[in-house]
Amino acid sequence: MPLLSVRDLAVQFKTRKSTVRAVNGVSFDLDAGETLGIVGESGCGKSVTSLAMLGILPKAGRVTHGEVLFEDVDLLKVPDSQLRQVRGNDIAMIFQDPMTSLNPVLTVGRQITEALRKHMDMNKDEANKEAIALLDRVEIPAAKDRIEDYPHQFSGGMRQRVMIAMAISCHPKILIADEPTTALDVTIQAQILEVLKQLVAEENMALILITHDLGVVAGTCERTNVMYAGRFVESAPTPKLFAKPRHPYTLGLLKSVPRLDAARKEKLQPIGGTPLSMTSEIEGCAFAPRCIYATEESRTKTPELRRIDSDDHLVACWNPVQEEDMPRIEIVAARDEGVAG
Amino acid sequence: MLNYALRRVLLTIPILLGLSIILFVFVRALPGGPEDALLGERGTDEQEAQIREELGLNKPIYVQYGLYMKNVLSGNLGVSTSTRQPITEELKLRFPATFELAIAAMLFAILIGVPLGFMAAKRYQGVLDNASLILSLIGISFPVFFLALLLKYVFAIKLGLLPTIGRLDITRSLEHPTNLYVLDSIIAGDPAALWDTLKHLVLPAIALGTIPLAIIARVTRAAVLDVTSADYVRTAQAKGLDPRVVDRRHIMKNAMLPVVTIVGLWAGLLLTGAVLTESVFAWPGLGSWILEAIRFRDYAVLQGGILFFAVLIVFVNLLVDISYAFLDPRIRYK
Amino acid sequence: MSLAEAEAQELHLERPSSLSRDALDRFIHNKAAVVGVVVMVLLVLIAIFAPLIAPFGPQEQVGPLDSSNPAGPSAEHWMGLDEQGRDVFSRVVYGARLSLLVGLVSAAFGLSVGLVLGALAGYFGGWVETIIMRLMDIMLAIPALLLAIGLIALLGRGLVQIMIAVGITTIPVFARLLRGSILAQRESDYVLAARSLGVRGRRLLTVHILPNALAPLIVQATLVTATAIIDVAGLSFLGLGPAEPGLPEWGKMLADNATRLDRATHLVIFPGAAIVISVLGLNLIGDGLRESIDPKMRS
Repeated sequence: MPLLSVRDLAVQFKTRKSTVRAVNGVSFDLDAGETLGIVGESGCGKSVTSLAMLGILPKAGRVTHGEVLFEDVDLLKVPDSQLRQVRGNDIAMIFQDPMTSLNPVLTVGRQITEALRKHMDMNKDEANKEAIALLDRVEIPAAKDRIEDYPHQFSGGMRQRVMIAMAISCHPKILIADEPTTALDVTIQAQILEVLKQLVAEENMALILITHDLGVVAGTCERTNVMYAGRFVESAPTPKLFAKPRHPYTLGLLKSVPRLDAARKEKLQPIGGTPLSMTSEIEGCAFAPRCIYATEESRTKTPELRRIDSDDHLVACWNPVQEEDMPRIEIVAARDEGVAG
Repeated sequence: MLNYALRRVLLTIPILLGLSIILFVFVRALPGGPEDALLGERGTDEQEAQIREELGLNKPIYVQYGLYMKNVLSGNLGVSTSTRQPITEELKLRFPATFELAIAAMLFAILIGVPLGFMAAKRYQGVLDNASLILSLIGISFPVFFLALLLKYVFAIKLGLLPTIGRLDITRSLEHPTNLYVLDSIIAGDPAALWDTLKHLVLPAIALGTIPLAIIARVTRAAVLDVTSADYVRTAQAKGLDPRVVDRRHIMKNAMLPVVTIVGLWAGLLLTGAVLTESVFAWPGLGSWILEAIRFRDYAVLQGGILFFAVLIVFVNLLVDISYAFLDPRIRYK
Repeated sequence: MSLAEAEAQELHLERPSSLSRDALDRFIHNKAAVVGVVVMVLLVLIAIFAPLIAPFGPQEQVGPLDSSNPAGPSAEHWMGLDEQGRDVFSRVVYGARLSLLVGLVSAAFGLSVGLVLGALAGYFGGWVETIIMRLMDIMLAIPALLLAIGLIALLGRGLVQIMIAVGITTIPVFARLLRGSILAQRESDYVLAARSLGVRGRRLLTVHILPNALAPLIVQATLVTATAIIDVAGLSFLGLGPAEPGLPEWGKMLADNATRLDRATHLVIFPGAAIVISVLGLNLIGDGLRESIDPKMRS
């Protein structure tokens, strides 16, 4: 029985001029303690998926279809008051930019104890103690003093640690991390990912890691889903994805990452074309206009996810990548950087 | 924090100096020279000679300025040409009247404007929002004196609900230790007087406070809209917090920062509005005092009155800056 | 003006603001703004064609002198007669000329002087900037009306004097705006890019910086004109307007008849409403411009 089961989720945004179809039929399962990566370009709908799951879409957004089953309850159908018991408590989320994601006029301690006092029924003193303990766990030095500090008094990496502390404070079953390292320096990125991995293991949480950076999922996620134009185009255990990607888009992503061990004159291979504008109905495969393997079928019939190679590898493509084109990237066992290659 | 406050105080000194210079020059630039200005046309030769001595008009200009500043700093603002009373004495009577009116107006503006702006933002582009936008635009387009006249006409004259002029019924007597009538009636334990005072306060306060209300409502609305779309509000929601808690602790706390600065800005507007409102309601405050000074060419009062006004505004702005720093930890702990 | 307030104003300038097609499109769709434009166009037309629209002259006595009970609105005199037997409608119409003229000229005066000062301050920086900005601070410390009152005391009463006085009170706003704009742009990326390409001095200012500073400037100009009209009416109300008797200035009409409120309400309501409508029109436009250049809700 999966912990979380998303079926056919569709989300739209209404603006004055048009309707943006941000998510177009997303389905996946998440088991307890599983780490799932969701990879895709900016604007492909990966963040929106999680916001929709938690019911905190911006005003212009609407879920138009689908169900989100968490412990057998469809989160999309329960009243907000019930959903608030789940948010921060059973399912927690951390966001991309820790500077803007923390309230500038509240102390860090206050922002942590808020959730504790709401969900864990602690009083002020207990919550404060717990907050200090949490800051310790995320390795913020002098936690006892730092509790009284404001977000702007922390560095970027520290702020993200605070966010993580906040998120795990109520021992959630699922942690959703939306681009947690994107706004940080590269060296800090690695540290934050380490902290995340460690905590996920300690708490036995399921983790959904959303990112556009393949390197991030390589060292962290057991399983990775690739998203394009609001739907999943490939889903596989991460090592398999890197070694034998079957969707042309995944292939393109892997090939476009500059490699340290590449020959000096080897050209970078970007994916041609531009990302899709998501305002119109898509006919056929969304990636077809940019795909080197596209056929007539790709342009007219929308491919569905189906098994390929093995039970745990799914792809939505009429012309999956062939053996000879695969880059066979081997993920070196997660070292400090966790970088593929 | 103390550092910041000190710096702000120091910054105001050149402004105050500049002000004093301008007013100093002002009186000397008036047609007829300062003797005429400060004595009026009825001054005798003796008095003119005396003034000349006092102000040191024979002496070089910087000595004159020095004398002037010495006087001002020691609390001597001169004597009114029309009443022959020392200006500082009159100030003690006039200022509390305007202060009371201003506070009432400000309370009116804030207590209605902030919730209005907040609700308009929450129901963005809803009926309340559009209505409040239009109303606040109309509000700032109304000249204060016109509004005052209209209110007076409708409520005092036509409906007879409220008194037309003054601070207190002339038949009533009240001790005035503070000259703030509301406070005075409380101190005297006189509920009837208190009620009467409040009745007199209502219309002028509404007239004076309507424009600030419109502005506060708009600024609050804009601030709340701005803050509501901030990332940290999303974080707060993701923590599963009660929406009212999110509103209060996360949205309002941040939205109030720009609103506070606006409150400071409108100290100036309130005081000028007072000049116009007080004339309509015959409210014996600073505003009508300056008006009379203009009518009777009492330049001593004008000079002293404007100086007082300006210093007051600088002071209020200073207070606002410091409280802003107090409210926003980013400035507090630079 | 306080530091915090100035900061609040400068914060506004950090956001991108430009006159683009998008902005125009937004403006046209903004119903309130369009209403404002319609109102102002009508007003300008009324002002220009006053002699054709007004049935009588502004100082022409067409009825009896009735100080205590002037005639109210009738079919012949839409807004009634005033205490000197003059047709109120005609006076209000001619008053439009006066108010618009004075408002525009005052604002224009303040704009030109303010721009020059702001440009000097922004461009040269250093002690030039400090002196100019301190001067502006001092001017702002005195509320506009009081400043104008003081200036009138110095200059005397009259049409030109009132325009200068009110105009002077608007200088600091423009000076601050332009200097702030220049400051914000000087450090912005596109200016750095232009400079790295060798664009210098005057060309940098006129071709790159100024057009981007233009947008908030236009917004302020509209709003300042609105305030100017109110301030002029206020000064007339206080008895400091032009001294010529019988001038159909809206504020003066209100002042003259404040005591007759109960008996001749029409003498107060019509000029007052005229002020409100003109100022409202300008405010709607200014507001609409501000919204279309920098929409408050970023979707």
